[in-house]
Amino acid sequence: MRDMVPVLEARGTRVPSAPFVRFSTLWVQVTGTWCNLQCVHCLNASGPRDPWLKPLCAERVRHAIRESEALGVKDIYFTGGEPFLHREILPLLGFALAAAPTTVLTNGAAISEATVAALASLARDAPYSLEIRVSLDDVDPEGNDRVRGRGAWARAVLTIRRLHAHGLLPIVAATEDPGGEGQVGPGLYGRLRDFLVGLGIDKPRVKILPLFPVGRLASRGGDLLSEEMLDGFDRARLQCAEARVVADGGVYACPILAGLPGARLSAGDLEESFRPAPLSHPGCVTCFETGMTCRNA
Amino acid sequence: MTAIVNAMGPVAAYRRIAVFGGVYSNALALEATLEDARRRDVEAVFCLGDMGGFGPHPDRVFPLLRAAAVLSLQGNYDESLASGRDDCGCGYTDPRDNHFARISYAYTFAHTSAENKAWLGSLPRHRRVQLGGSSVLMCHGSPRGVNEFLWESTTPNGLLRRLFRDHAADVILCTHTGIKWHRALPEGQHLVNVGAIGRPENDGSPRVWYALLTAGCELEVEFVPVRYDHSRLARQMDAEGLPPEFAETVRTGWWTTCLESLPARERARGRF
Repeated sequence: MRDMVPVLEARGTRVPSAPFVRFSTLWVQVTGTWCNLQCVHCLNASGPRDPWLKPLCAERVRHAIRESEALGVKDIYFTGGEPFLHREILPLLGFALAAAPTTVLTNGAAISEATVAALASLARDAPYSLEIRVSLDDVDPEGNDRVRGRGAWARAVLTIRRLHAHGLLPIVAATEDPGGEGQVGPGLYGRLRDFLVGLGIDKPRVKILPLFPVGRLASRGGDLLSEEMLDGFDRARLQCAEARVVADGGVYACPILAGLPGARLSAGDLEESFRPAPLSHPGCVTCFETGMTCRNA
Repeated sequence: MTAIVNAMGPVAAYRRIAVFGGVYSNALALEATLEDARRRDVEAVFCLGDMGGFGPHPDRVFPLLRAAAVLSLQGNYDESLASGRDDCGCGYTDPRDNHFARISYAYTFAHTSAENKAWLGSLPRHRRVQLGGSSVLMCHGSPRGVNEFLWESTTPNGLLRRLFRDHAADVILCTHTGIKWHRALPEGQHLVNVGAIGRPENDGSPRVWYALLTAGCELEVEFVPVRYDHSRLARQMDAEGLPPEFAETVRTGWWTTCLESLPARERARGRF
């Protein structure tokens, strides 16, 4: 699977970098690329079989959280793969919530009613906010399942309903033009909001993400950033200037580049990774052009 | 007020101060706040920035601030107005939040005089004072970012310890979120988000809040509610053609916009 992603290498010109400004956000690639779905636009080509990026053991996650808390982290995000496939996900979320506000990104397909109840209990007892971000790419089941797999829409919507019923306020995350068919319309945000209101969700929360030429769409390639393109741009605004990702095998600057050899900043120590990050991937162009953040807001 | 020299150099020293933020062009609430603070034996009044935005007639707040000798900081809105930026720099990422932010900023920019924009440009980004035995750092969003949101439910103690250490302060005062909160760490430092006087804090009441800080054996922090003629303000907003969602917030005390930056816990407390 590593072969599917462009290798980061210098091409005779100086590779631009993002400065390390401060450590605000810890990302935990808790299940690596192990997922119960196999979406056509997946950012790191996750799937159900033979994850090319392995899940993290619980002690590695707890160590990263302890280290981050001592370094003054502002927020923690769990991603994968599908985080709810990790057998210790609930205690790990509880551990993280004792240190900082925590978000978990999920496709909602592996969350039972009992899990939702446990999440509600965690949210109630924690000193900080728990956010649950559920991926749903279309209000139309057929459109969603075309990119996320059969049955994905129904399971995600069921989870959204359950979270709402337990007083949690899920953030629904959608990718613009998930099929990469050039069908980018301005209405996705409004359609999703209206859809959630129609479900009886009175505080609809929606996050729209751009499509990245990475993971399963990496073969489309794309331009790379150059010093010339970045001239006059404040690179401190890039989220890699203040985020670090703990994944199997090392620490990275960007959740969607975790596991790629050229993107690794340290073998495991967070502070060692506090150095400029190379902006040498086509995905970096998307962040630069759209100003997107993987954070909730 | 006296002047002393502490580890950060010469600073003004006080026993009791009033601090507010987020005026948001609400001259009526500003008047009421200043009157209330005068009755409470404060030695100085501080404003942590964002004079404009949201409300009507932005130029009406500046004479009040100057006449009362309010010691003010520059917020993100003030910085944008002073430098002619084309957005408020509030730090929103959500399309709906940004939609209303654009309307608010365009109105405020068009109705703030060049003289007042220049005054906003002259304001400092931070202030340091001594309050009894405490070294106090005042900022708008956070000590490290004018538009950084410090919400109660998303500001961990580990971050606070780093901010107190990195900025050599015992007490940090901020605003920007529009909702007040206070936390004292076991080690004795205090973070006080003083809230905003320009907009109610999403609790279903039209009142607004400011903070009183009093030096003593322990620092005393008191949040003071302020009632003002909010119906009159809402009528002025309607007359100026500002979005009805803004006036609804003033009338009801529930936020109708800028909702998407709210973390889950703060969002759950509101109506929308």
